[in-house]
Amino acid sequence: MPGFTHLHTASGFSLRYGASHPERLAERAAERGMDALALTDRDTLAGAVRFAKACAAEGVRPLFGAELAVGAPEPSARQARRRAPVRGGAFVDESTPRVTFLAREGAKGWAELCRIVSAAHGGSDEDGGRGTGGGAAGGRGATGVRGAAAGRGEGPPLLPWTECVGDGLTVLLGPASDVGRALAAGRPDRAAKLLGPWRERFGDALRLETMWHGRQGTGPGSLRLAARTVGFAAEQRIRPVLSNAVRYADPGMGPVADVLDAARRLVPVDPRGELDSGEAWLKDAGAMLAAAERIVEAAGYRRDTAYRLLEQTRATAAECLVDPEDDLGLGTVHFPEPHLVGAGRRTAQRVLASRAAAGMLRLGYDTRRDYWERVHQELDVIAHHGFASYFLTVAQVVDDVRRMGIRVAARGSGAGSLVNHLLGIAHADPVEHGLLMERFLSKRRVVLPDIDIDVESARRLEVYRAIIGRFGAERVATVAMPETYRVRHAVRDVGAALSMDPADIDRIAKSFPHIRARDARAALEELPELRELAGEKEKYGRLWELVESLDALPRGVAMHPCGVLLSDSSLLARTPVMPTSGEGFPMSQFDKDDVEDLGLLKLDVLGVRMQSAMAHAVAEVERATGERVDLDALDFERGEGDPATYRLIRSTETLGCFQIESPGQRDLVGRLQPSTFHDLVVDISLFRPGPVAADMVRPFIAARHGRAPVRYPHPDLEAPLRETYGVVVFHEQVIDIVHLMTGCGRDEADRVRRGLSDPESQGRIRVWFAQHAAAKGYDAETIARTWEIVEAFGSYGFCKAHAVAFAVPTYQSAWLKTHHPAAFYAGLLTHDPGMYPKRLLLADARRRGVPILPVDVNRSAAAHRIELVSESRGSEGPSPEGPSTKIWGLRLALSDVHGISEAEAARIADGQPYASLLDFWERARPSRPLAQRLAQVGALDAFGANRRDLQLHLTELHRGARGMGGGGGQLPLSGGRGTAPAGLPDLSSAERLSAELGVLSMDVSRNLMDDHRVFLDELGVVSARRLREARHGETVLVAGAKAATQTPPIRSGKRVVFTTLDDGTGLVDLAFFDDSHEACAHTVFHSWLLLVRGVVQRRGPRSLSVVGSAAWNLAELVELRREGGLDAVAPRLAEPVPTSGGDPTHGRRIQLPTGYEMHPWADLRPAGEEPSKVRKLWHQSPGSAG
Amino acid sequence: MTILCVRFQLPPKYEAALPGLLGLLEDFTPVVQALPPDGALADLRGAERYFGRGAEELARLIRVRALALYGIDCVIGAGPGPLLARMALGQAEPGEPCAVPEDLVVDFLAERPVAALPGVGTATARTLCEYGLDTLGRVAAAPLSALQRLVGARTGRELHEKANGVDRGRVVPNAVARSLAAEHPFPHDELNPDRHRRALLLDAEELGSRLRALDKVCRTLTLTVRYADRSSTTRTRTLPEPTAHSPELARAAYGMYGALGLQRARVRAIALRAEGLTPAEEASHQLAFDPTDDKLRRIEEVADRARAKFGPRAILPGTLAA
Repeated sequence: MPGFTHLHTASGFSLRYGASHPERLAERAAERGMDALALTDRDTLAGAVRFAKACAAEGVRPLFGAELAVGAPEPSARQARRRAPVRGGAFVDESTPRVTFLAREGAKGWAELCRIVSAAHGGSDEDGGRGTGGGAAGGRGATGVRGAAAGRGEGPPLLPWTECVGDGLTVLLGPASDVGRALAAGRPDRAAKLLGPWRERFGDALRLETMWHGRQGTGPGSLRLAARTVGFAAEQRIRPVLSNAVRYADPGMGPVADVLDAARRLVPVDPRGELDSGEAWLKDAGAMLAAAERIVEAAGYRRDTAYRLLEQTRATAAECLVDPEDDLGLGTVHFPEPHLVGAGRRTAQRVLASRAAAGMLRLGYDTRRDYWERVHQELDVIAHHGFASYFLTVAQVVDDVRRMGIRVAARGSGAGSLVNHLLGIAHADPVEHGLLMERFLSKRRVVLPDIDIDVESARRLEVYRAIIGRFGAERVATVAMPETYRVRHAVRDVGAALSMDPADIDRIAKSFPHIRARDARAALEELPELRELAGEKEKYGRLWELVESLDALPRGVAMHPCGVLLSDSSLLARTPVMPTSGEGFPMSQFDKDDVEDLGLLKLDVLGVRMQSAMAHAVAEVERATGERVDLDALDFERGEGDPATYRLIRSTETLGCFQIESPGQRDLVGRLQPSTFHDLVVDISLFRPGPVAADMVRPFIAARHGRAPVRYPHPDLEAPLRETYGVVVFHEQVIDIVHLMTGCGRDEADRVRRGLSDPESQGRIRVWFAQHAAAKGYDAETIARTWEIVEAFGSYGFCKAHAVAFAVPTYQSAWLKTHHPAAFYAGLLTHDPGMYPKRLLLADARRRGVPILPVDVNRSAAAHRIELVSESRGSEGPSPEGPSTKIWGLRLALSDVHGISEAEAARIADGQPYASLLDFWERARPSRPLAQRLAQVGALDAFGANRRDLQLHLTELHRGARGMGGGGGQLPLSGGRGTAPAGLPDLSSAERLSAELGVLSMDVSRNLMDDHRVFLDELGVVSARRLREARHGETVLVAGAKAATQTPPIRSGKRVVFTTLDDGTGLVDLAFFDDSHEACAHTVFHSWLLLVRGVVQRRGPRSLSVVGSAAWNLAELVELRREGGLDAVAPRLAEPVPTSGGDPTHGRRIQLPTGYEMHPWADLRPAGEEPSKVRKLWHQSPGSAG
Repeated sequence: MTILCVRFQLPPKYEAALPGLLGLLEDFTPVVQALPPDGALADLRGAERYFGRGAEELARLIRVRALALYGIDCVIGAGPGPLLARMALGQAEPGEPCAVPEDLVVDFLAERPVAALPGVGTATARTLCEYGLDTLGRVAAAPLSALQRLVGARTGRELHEKANGVDRGRVVPNAVARSLAAEHPFPHDELNPDRHRRALLLDAEELGSRLRALDKVCRTLTLTVRYADRSSTTRTRTLPEPTAHSPELARAAYGMYGALGLQRARVRAIALRAEGLTPAEEASHQLAFDPTDDKLRRIEEVADRARAKFGPRAILPGTLAA
């Protein structure tokens, strides 16, 4: 029997509807003997590319289609509006009829399909008649429906009837269509009337879809409706087809579909309501024949009529021919038309060549022969691939961005191309730094090269708009990024579907680290911090199973943070586009991998916060001092650079500096002691998972400080390896080694390097390498030793071009920190680039002697600013600022006040100065809560000393404004500016600190740990400053506020928890090894203030960390101390520490392709809340607001 | 002068036992004020001298008697005024009565949070806390004018007096039970409006029959809908005439429920409370020409008798029996 073709199949890309991935569907189709399978996702084609690839791998012919909600031909009268619910929000409206469209005639059908899907997402404004949509008020629903209801934020996608045309499309009218519904309602007359417009539009391409899920009654999936449909089709002379409305690949997945339905509709699963039938799986031909027989018999035909129904289905499937290679455009490249990038009459290649030559002259390389040779070589390669318009496109974008005054820098392997440098795309000179074009693009490399550009994050959307403006909306689209279920979201959605207590759901979700959903039960078994939760595991019944079954299903679509598609004007015929929810940018439904497969040119425009921060710092310096700082003009790439900057870097106080601020990097910087730009490049390259895993760091440090001799396998290799003391760090070095040893050319060497990461090809390469090296006359021992190095380090070095591109902002930020600290912190706090909470940056500023000035409505602006605090004619030697010593302070910004809107901040800043509270109230018009918060943090202190009195005055002003009587216009004023006291108790010092944390998320007036100093001294806690003098191996107590926690993959294959504490005097870096996890993991992840007992580890003069063995929640201890004195603290400390019972993973390790082992739970964002989100003090004092 | 504030630990829906317990208190003093559903104030005036025992000892006596007679435990607070007795109750535990002597009143109050003061609701408490007046001591220290600006003239004055220990309240003897409540929880998040209405009908039936058993009618009806996230919505409606007739109560409850317009709200429980209870014989009833209403009331009377004999589930509305 020939296989059956399912024409109506939803994959997981049908958000919260389909329960199986397209790959799984293709695999099952092949297993069950089907030759073809259609993918008709709801409102999207996002799964099409994966599906096509999976089908190609399984030997199944893919059919492409989509299921769309279609507006009625004539808009019906608006339904009576339901009363707005007082709680919980309205139901998600799914009442619009849905119709399945299949692409039929190759590229034309695909283009039509793309068009109607785009139309469904874009054309939602025309149609008004659509009850209460997904705009669910209240609860967590409002955020949950994003992807599904992204159509300009109003309601789900809907295809207007006027757009519902298409030559190359086959239309299936199923039970969910208007015709099907009329039949279900027992109204064949109405069905016939509704069928008219469809028949008119689609004629012979119209099919009636019948399906049977064994349901009772006459609704969708019932035998009676299926039979009626077949009868109706015969009567109307329209061909019927059989489908199974597939939602999941395998039987038994009904409960998963129920959970997805519940998550989509934002309601719990109602065990007494209508559940999924469990029949909507990818049934094989036999089962479908049986269904067909039941249906035709019920319709009153002979049983063998079933074959005719199946034959119709087969014939329909046979018509729907779309070839993934030819018609979707897999594997072909489309660049914007040359005239758009300045190549009107000449060819793009000619234009590129002349611009490169102009660049040579501009940069003064025209006298250097080697540069010319390199340029010609590169241009040859570019011409070979025909990529000239690509380079011109990128150059065009970079020029546009630069003209807008936005900081821009190229990153990635593109920095290795001299042409890029000449066009102004890349900053660093590749010849100077020994970067190779071959790493980026060569004749032997077939994949699309990618050039990434970094821009200021705050102005990234401006850049997008400029690109759209330059190339036109029909050629530009952003790239989608499906948000998939991981464990936390899965727990939340399944928990809500199962009617669990919201508090329980929240607690369970937060106790998990950010792992995959499918690992939920394994994590419960193995992770010590989940031990408590594992104990009550049984209580939640089916939860875990369902959580795991949601693994990796898409649950929403967001705009990819950096990808922009650039193509010729045929873009919209090749990709479906939807508007992004916030900004309304056109967004392709395909994600970044799909886009590459489709041969669409993707330019990565990354918003880098550090670039924004530096731009802000430079602007502040200019505003306040008039001094223009040009970071790009700093000459540091050659020669010594600025000694003060390197002194700062070597001191490891690099908080806030790009790339070198993490605890691990600070440690590495301390050991490496960089003194030149090249050292920075090496430092950045070494701190990558690969080099760390391959243990390149230790030999490098040893050789650098002369503790180990520098060795080369052969004198010939000294040239590439000299710069890194014989240790292979960069990809470029591997390429050079292979090239030198075998003489194969650098392009071939790059191909070989790529092959090294695959164990299979490694064997082949080894033989090849040995042969060619021997042919070049190297002896066997040299070959063996070289191969060892190539093999060990080959696949996970770091691309030097990347590192150079990274090191530029690293140096620039460190330079700013050295010479303009206040402005630097102002930039950091405004654009918050780092891994640390803002309060830690503030603590760092305080430590470095930058005065912190509180928020003040008369002085603060919307962004953080610098302010002259004191000026003295200094006689104590030269200072970088000039003859007089000026101390600049950091004035905190209004924008950091919790809940302030941009408009409010701007209004306050514009109205400055204010003479009195009344003046402020009248002109700045702050909302009441905002005014109260400003009063609490002392922003209104100028108008009266008592903050509570100010709050009272504000309340009365507010009451007066609302015409509710009260004081009216009579503000009790004393002496004009100030405000009369009301006699309320003022905020205590602790309350002020609490208000600062609550309102600004920062402890402005002092470090919050200062309040516990007495208690910590009682305990004998060593402060971070004193810790620097501690001996190696000494046992100490340390305490502080947690700043960052990580569990990165490390060389030993163990799980180590790294965390950083801030105690006001400095930072303490802690490491918890797995023997202490049983005792500490839960406390470390879930507490904010920590007290830790540990042993001091020293690895260098500046490298110091504490290995933790026990941890307590300091907030709890402080509370005990306050209530019961030291006697209450003692029993808590005396509680026995649980000891670990061996490795709970039983030695399970993830084998990395590089041959190293990784702990299964390393490299995850750990459990608990981010410290940057903590807005509360250790205890909520009853006197604090909010 | 010592006032006791007693809270009996009644099982839910067992208000009917309160009159008997009040009788027990009346053995000690005639001045007893019921605080429905489960409490009472008693003014011990001459009792202390009559029994020759202090307030605390009397409190223990009352507890023992309540346990012996009714098997019901109670918590007792004692103070120089009703207000302080109530505040003391908050600190007391079963078997551990809390008494506030007259000379320590100010110290006792100073440490208490403002929300503990009777008459200070969540809204007032929030306002006061916002301004740092989180304990009664701080409230007492704040100038009267500031308080009045914060919470209004009258509330401010009362707050000021109460916080300073001035207790102008008196124990006023009166009758029992001014309200009755019925609650219906759901085993999981329930969205189905039919099942919500079913729960409302159950509650109304239960309230009606309990009211009729006490010979009371109610003036107002309060609907409370509790949600999965532990929040709730409350609506109150005054009935056209005081009644204990179940269909009337159900109609009023349906009206309030319909006005909520709930759709996706995850309802965990629905509760009805009958308030403003007055004796049935004092209620007026508008007669109608339509005989149906009259018949319904007569049937209800019969049904009540049948229930009294065969248990509460002997006769049910048809929709509930299904």
